[in-house]
Amino acid sequence: MSTGKRETWRRVFLLIGRLALAGMFLFAAYAKLKPQAALPWSVASVRTSLSMFAMQVDSYQLLSPQAVSMAAHALPFIELVLGLWLLSGLWLRYSTLATSLLLLGFFALMVRTYSLGLEINCGCFGPGEQLGKKSLLRDGSLLAFSLVVTICAFLSKRKRSESANSLPAAASEPQRAN
Amino acid sequence: MIRRNFHPFSGVVLCEFAMVGALALICGAGISAQTHARAQTHAVANSDAAAAPVKSLGNRNAPITMEVFSDYQCPSCGNFYENTLKYMIQDMVASGQVYFVHRDFPLPMHPYSYMAARWANAAAKIGKFEVVDATLWDNQQAWSVDGNIEKFVAAAVSPADFKRIKKLMEGCDVNPTASAKPVAFKNNGQEDHGCMLDTYIEQDKQLAKQIPVTQTPTSVITAKTQRYPAMPGFVTWPILKQFLTSLLSQ
Repeated sequence: MSTGKRETWRRVFLLIGRLALAGMFLFAAYAKLKPQAALPWSVASVRTSLSMFAMQVDSYQLLSPQAVSMAAHALPFIELVLGLWLLSGLWLRYSTLATSLLLLGFFALMVRTYSLGLEINCGCFGPGEQLGKKSLLRDGSLLAFSLVVTICAFLSKRKRSESANSLPAAASEPQRAN
Repeated sequence: MIRRNFHPFSGVVLCEFAMVGALALICGAGISAQTHARAQTHAVANSDAAAAPVKSLGNRNAPITMEVFSDYQCPSCGNFYENTLKYMIQDMVASGQVYFVHRDFPLPMHPYSYMAARWANAAAKIGKFEVVDATLWDNQQAWSVDGNIEKFVAAAVSPADFKRIKKLMEGCDVNPTASAKPVAFKNNGQEDHGCMLDTYIEQDKQLAKQIPVTQTPTSVITAKTQRYPAMPGFVTWPILKQFLTSLLSQ
């Protein structure tokens, strides 16, 4: 495969990859913020949803209640910002790197909890999903996918930098010949 | 110029926003419908279990009802009672904000949990649930060794009440050995020897199946007729209180 073709495929994969990751993070944030039961959207109902998410974070038995509350109230907004950042395509290397690091943290936490034998809800996409082999496999796959997207983003950037550097050199060739 | 930057508000980016937004709405609608269907199933099952002894604490008309599916021999349930439920009972149940309901969900892996549930149900039949429930949790480690639950129940209630509880326990295998599972576990959990208390335990287990509950402890919270998704696992009191308070402020 020629270098140009490979670069085109890489860019297509990068576009699909970042859109998929953006969609996943936006949905994860929405699932955590959306009002539970049949409540309408309001500040109070979102606060209740965040408190419910805090119970899920707490059931991991890792943080103190204060830290749990802070993490549970910040995480859905971090996911929202990350989703929008990926969607915008700005500073893609950093957004995909941040995504991979966050997914790595989630995955490590899930593995730890599973190995401890705690039977709890995952809390990944809102309440109701039990942490088990299925959720571990899904999050592991997402992490692997995110890492590939991150590598592609870095490679793509390097290729573009190389092309940009070689252009002035190529442009100066005929001048020297003259 | 070879470098091509995406402007954040270009046509392509706006299309991406629209696609992702539509995807999120479709997924959200699906999950919402699922939750609603589960809530309806549980509400029907609740009325079926109305004949069971009162294994609850607090004001029945409290704005929040919290049902906890527990196994008396499960360490995590014991931890949940000692570090969370005890405080909730003293605070929000005592003040009439929460109605607490105990549901039995004895797990087959614990040889004495079914027997402990029988004692709790017998006590509930004579209105002594709170004290026997507390004593079972407080002494969980002690009776889990040999299954001698009777002595702790006897110490927790008056001799007259204990006599009444013992009478209700007639027909139940009082002290199964550690190696033998309670008789009620034969034939897929159905009673086969005439212990009438097992009916109430089985009613709770049926209810658990419909939610569905698969592990203990699992909390099911209802506030102002809205049922929230079942919450398995241990939760600390400050975090549970934060959630209950947010429900009260709705």
